[in-house]
Amino acid sequence: MITAGIDAGSRAIKIVLLDSGSGRILAAGIRDQGVEQDRRAAELLDELLEEQGVDRDGVSAVVATGYGRNIISLADRTVTEITCHARGVGHVMKDVGTIIEIGGQDSKVVRLSETGAVRDFQMNDRCAAGTGRFLEVAAGIFDVDLQTMGEMATRSDKPAAISSMCVVFAETEIVGLLASGQPPEGIAAGVQASIATRVASMAGRIVNDPVVFTGGVALIPGMDLALGKAMGRSVSRVPKPQLTGALGAALIAAGR
Amino acid sequence: MIEAPRMISLGEWDARHADLAADGLKEAWYGGPISRHVDQGDTRLIKLRFDNSVAALGLWNFLLTEEERLLRAREEGYKLVGAMKDLGTVPVLAYSASRLRAFYPDGAWWIPCVMELNAGLLGIADSLGIDDSFCPVRAMLGAFVTEAHFPIPDLLTCSVGATCDDFSVIAQRLNGLGYPIHWWEIPARRRPDSGEAAVRLPGGFEAPREQVAMVRAELERLRPLFEDLSGERLDETACAAGIREANKVRRILRELRQLAYAAEPCPMPALELLIAEMLAIHFCSDRDESARVLAGLLNEVRRRVDRRLGVLPEGAARVFWVNPVADLHAMNLLEECGGRICGTDYLFCHAYDEIPEGMESMEALARMALADPMIGPAADRADRICRDIELFGAEAMIISRIPGASHCATEGVLISEAVRSRLDIPVIEVEVPPLIDPVEATVRTRMEALVEMVRERRKS
Repeated sequence: MITAGIDAGSRAIKIVLLDSGSGRILAAGIRDQGVEQDRRAAELLDELLEEQGVDRDGVSAVVATGYGRNIISLADRTVTEITCHARGVGHVMKDVGTIIEIGGQDSKVVRLSETGAVRDFQMNDRCAAGTGRFLEVAAGIFDVDLQTMGEMATRSDKPAAISSMCVVFAETEIVGLLASGQPPEGIAAGVQASIATRVASMAGRIVNDPVVFTGGVALIPGMDLALGKAMGRSVSRVPKPQLTGALGAALIAAGR
Repeated sequence: MIEAPRMISLGEWDARHADLAADGLKEAWYGGPISRHVDQGDTRLIKLRFDNSVAALGLWNFLLTEEERLLRAREEGYKLVGAMKDLGTVPVLAYSASRLRAFYPDGAWWIPCVMELNAGLLGIADSLGIDDSFCPVRAMLGAFVTEAHFPIPDLLTCSVGATCDDFSVIAQRLNGLGYPIHWWEIPARRRPDSGEAAVRLPGGFEAPREQVAMVRAELERLRPLFEDLSGERLDETACAAGIREANKVRRILRELRQLAYAAEPCPMPALELLIAEMLAIHFCSDRDESARVLAGLLNEVRRRVDRRLGVLPEGAARVFWVNPVADLHAMNLLEECGGRICGTDYLFCHAYDEIPEGMESMEALARMALADPMIGPAADRADRICRDIELFGAEAMIISRIPGASHCATEGVLISEAVRSRLDIPVIEVEVPPLIDPVEATVRTRMEALVEMVRERRKS
């Protein structure tokens, strides 16, 4: 049987179809999130199912996760992205101690037990400064996409100091830094360092190794290195980090 | 008409109240459908879910008619004492005089929630220089200025010293506005030095004898103020009687908590229990009626426990809750997420302990005041929380932070570290503003994740 995991994140909808018997990923898809999250999720699911030559009756269970999980009407149940990322990461990497997930709207540090279950977690509270949204704002100022901004950051060995505690003020600060002649590469690295420092601070003192990085922001060049530097330890990137939440949801739907 | 226990909306309560009234329901003077309070501006009630018992109806109506009760008391010649920053000491003394009614002006901190910010109290506090870097209890300043939520008391007391920094600033501002306050000092409770004369406090703590003596002297300073105001002599007999009556309320609450938090399935929703617990510190302006209302609730809980009836499905995640919430809806939210309350520390758990009897009243009150969790080391508070978590069998803990509250900033970390290391249960912290709506999605995610962690642990 097939199960589906739908991760309705703040920036994108991700779906994984799973063979519930073998645990093998059959198909996966990502679509930008719009205001009609439910409809877009249904369309993406149908497209993936069509590729597999099955219809919705061929899906035994659907689990939705992510920020918009409660509005996915075709889900049989919902599970938080904290549990789903833990399950998804555990499927592709063994013996992980801590997961860092930075999404478009929030960031999380999830500590795992020896069995891979969630032991505890921290989430950013009420500010976008430690999230992917900060990167988007900065990329908007540079008029480049996130990938390009990440590449810019990796070319700098001198990150600019960005001290504002709020994305709105940081935007002004970045404009000021550009006006003062600071190289854009250094500013891009400074933005990454600022996010990484916030996440490291949220993680606090109790971080179990190995630390892995997942979520959409993990795809951006340089972010894993910035996190590693801020946390003073090695941080590795999960394969296909955007999909781990949806994969975890599909695994839970399969009872695995 | 007894219905199976369940949680119902305000609209459902209206229909149920009409049925109960048709069946001859007898209510106190403050009774009626809960929805009438919405007409008076308490619009948050529309979003809440309520227990469907007659006892809960009485509790809600008792809570929401406090202003009327105070106005009536004044008309009947009672003198009103505003006991500020006081978690259960001065009201006991004030109620020892038959012509005094004490209340808790700080309770105005819930008005921005209950009236969904429409009363403008926080804006008034802003205009007085007490902005949102302070605890929402600053709404009290607005309530004094508008005189729309409680009558201005005849006498105001406020503890100062080791209590909340925010509140000291707010109360000093109030004093400066022309509302004279009788301050009484309470020191930060410390553990006795080796060989130092020590006194055992309720709750299992100890304090140096000299600290108890100091607080006792402070309370002795208040006594003549109450005597002058009431025209009554507050001798040992009167004060001892006041303590006995307060202990009646505390005993009811103690039994209520023990029954409700330990029973499976959960016999009473978190919200009603929160409100019941609040009565321990200020009696909602009528000590004796407070005891009657709580006794009604206790009887309902006993009935449900005896019959194994619950308001939530069996197996809800058993959660210990730390600190009161600025938005009442947060308690409903936990239950929607699959949790239930099994133990609380709303910052005044000393007020469930009986005040010592069989000793001089002022000595007893001083010992009680020093047992206040807010004035002792966070480690003491964590100790008691750990004990209660074990007592009630809680499987997880939520620490709710109060925005701007200075004591929340560091205490939460210390308590969570102590609970994690000693009991190895999952802990989350959530910040609950006066209206949780803008952050409801993120708070819900945290609570659901906590419940998922509990369920996962049960499997292993």
